[in-house]
Amino acid sequence: MTFQTHDARILEVKELTSREKLFTLRFVDPEINRKFKYKPGQFVVVDIRGFGEFPISLCSTPTREGYFQLCVRRVGRMTKYMHNLKEGDIVGIRGPYGNGFPMEKMEGSTLILVAGGLGMAPLRSVLWYALDSGKYEKIYLFYGTKAYEDILFRDEVIHLLKHGEDMNCHVKLAYEVESPSCIYLEKGYSPRVCKGVVTDLFRGENFDVENTYALICGPPVMYKFVIKELLDRKLSPGRIYMTLERRMRCGVGKCGHCIVGTSTSIKYVCKDGPVFTYWDALSTRGLI
Amino acid sequence: MRYVKLPQENFEEFFNSLKKWGIVYAPVKKENIYSFQKVQDVSEIALDYTRTMLPPKKFFVRPKDEMLKLKEGHWEEANGTEPIVLFGVHSCDIHGLEILDKVYLGDPVDPYYKKRRENSIIIGISCMPDEYCFCKSLGTNFAMHGFDLFLHELPDGWLVRVGSVKGHEIAWGNEELFEELTEEDMKNFREFEEKRANSFQKHLNKEGLEDMLDLAYNSPVWKRYERICLGCGNCNMVCPTCRCYEVCDLWMNAYEAVRVRRYDSCFMESHGLVAGGHNFRPTRLDRFRHRYYCKSYFDPSAGFNCVGCGRCDEFCPAKIEHVKVLDEVREGLQ
Repeated sequence: MTFQTHDARILEVKELTSREKLFTLRFVDPEINRKFKYKPGQFVVVDIRGFGEFPISLCSTPTREGYFQLCVRRVGRMTKYMHNLKEGDIVGIRGPYGNGFPMEKMEGSTLILVAGGLGMAPLRSVLWYALDSGKYEKIYLFYGTKAYEDILFRDEVIHLLKHGEDMNCHVKLAYEVESPSCIYLEKGYSPRVCKGVVTDLFRGENFDVENTYALICGPPVMYKFVIKELLDRKLSPGRIYMTLERRMRCGVGKCGHCIVGTSTSIKYVCKDGPVFTYWDALSTRGLI
Repeated sequence: MRYVKLPQENFEEFFNSLKKWGIVYAPVKKENIYSFQKVQDVSEIALDYTRTMLPPKKFFVRPKDEMLKLKEGHWEEANGTEPIVLFGVHSCDIHGLEILDKVYLGDPVDPYYKKRRENSIIIGISCMPDEYCFCKSLGTNFAMHGFDLFLHELPDGWLVRVGSVKGHEIAWGNEELFEELTEEDMKNFREFEEKRANSFQKHLNKEGLEDMLDLAYNSPVWKRYERICLGCGNCNMVCPTCRCYEVCDLWMNAYEAVRVRRYDSCFMESHGLVAGGHNFRPTRLDRFRHRYYCKSYFDPSAGFNCVGCGRCDEFCPAKIEHVKVLDEVREGLQ
């Protein structure tokens, strides 16, 4: 049934920051586990029985089978409840929903992943997918974060900062609040680590715009600055993909909360998105 | 389509025969308001009603609706539905249901809506427009499908259009109540429809409506109405095509919970609010404009998202008129 969820067991809970936890899950029913296929950029709805539901993007990659991961920020009643769950506990999951990033279409190209804050979560799925499949020419990760303590998947990001070049993966990090750890990183990896905003990371980089795709996810305010940066470098709007956030209640285009656009361009972020190109943003008012 | 005549003297018997198909709901007058209620006797029905406050969507997308029940830590589907007969549905409301069908029966199918639609019989009835109706402008003043039977008023009975297999079955089972149509009946039917078409007082100019509105995003008219609008969401509740819903879990006792969905309104501040407190439609201006854009969206397969029933005008406590707002926005562009 459309709104019935399936039991998934929490295999591991990892504290990423003071606000975010990473949950590794697997469906209890092996059959459902086998059938569960998703694309980077898609999301699921988590069902805390007796509390309610919330949508959340998948941050693991479909190339690593047998489990999936969700990065949950504690912001409300339900995410607070989720944060109190332990290994072995059960939650309900339905999905995956949404269109996801067109990974196959982008094969052979350079990917620029631009993440701001929690936007790292859905892009981590793309990052891993691209690294695992090895079908992409070059991968850039531009990650803007508030402070060192807020870097999501810090171990992975720092590992890639050190060794990414070997895998054709170039990581750049911008932070806003100075701390001894940031200064240490900056000393070691300047100019790839700097104080500033995510758009500062574009400085000094040249892309073959004919063979590059940009994938963006971050807070609402970030999009137009990043897009301006990309357009200035003559990247075609059709090569700019962004994944958006809205209040997705049902996840399947019924409840109406995520409707955007005007009389000529109504779209449901949950089923027409959450991944849109900049062409969509130009023709759909209110998208970004 | 099959056309037959139901003479007035057989009307009551026909009505009583419907009870075997399900619980019969029909428009009933309570003080100044009409509403679809359970009826036992034909005398309870207000056949010449204008519009009910809540449209027939309330039977399919209920104001408060149990979806799932929590039993021993697992969800079970809530109880099924009983067969119902909706008697006396106006053409605009039939069109409204068809718009809801597009959404709820589209992939993935909403199981609750589907079950209720399958368990229902829709019997339409002809009507005369009042000062709020503008369905003619939107082409929803006549229903060609979406009903099982449609009753058109004649001086001595009803011209009945049979619109589905279920409709045929009802007519078949009561064959003795129906007659063949005469030339006189056809003449009366045409006269009624002509009189009806000429009785509309309100017209919506829908020429290029969706494009016109798109261009008028920054129109000062929105700002003017934002100050008049109370933001109560009444227009959403009574609209036959508004369908936003909110979901929450409610505990019935220490062991049982239900997952309930209930009507939501895009006029509520919480409608565009996401986790962490960011609101994608923070002002009343955003929300007021959004409703007009949503209602005036033209879907090539389903038409406009508005059927011109006039409920939002009649039940607006601030007396905001849908057509007038759209006309003023258009005027502002010229």
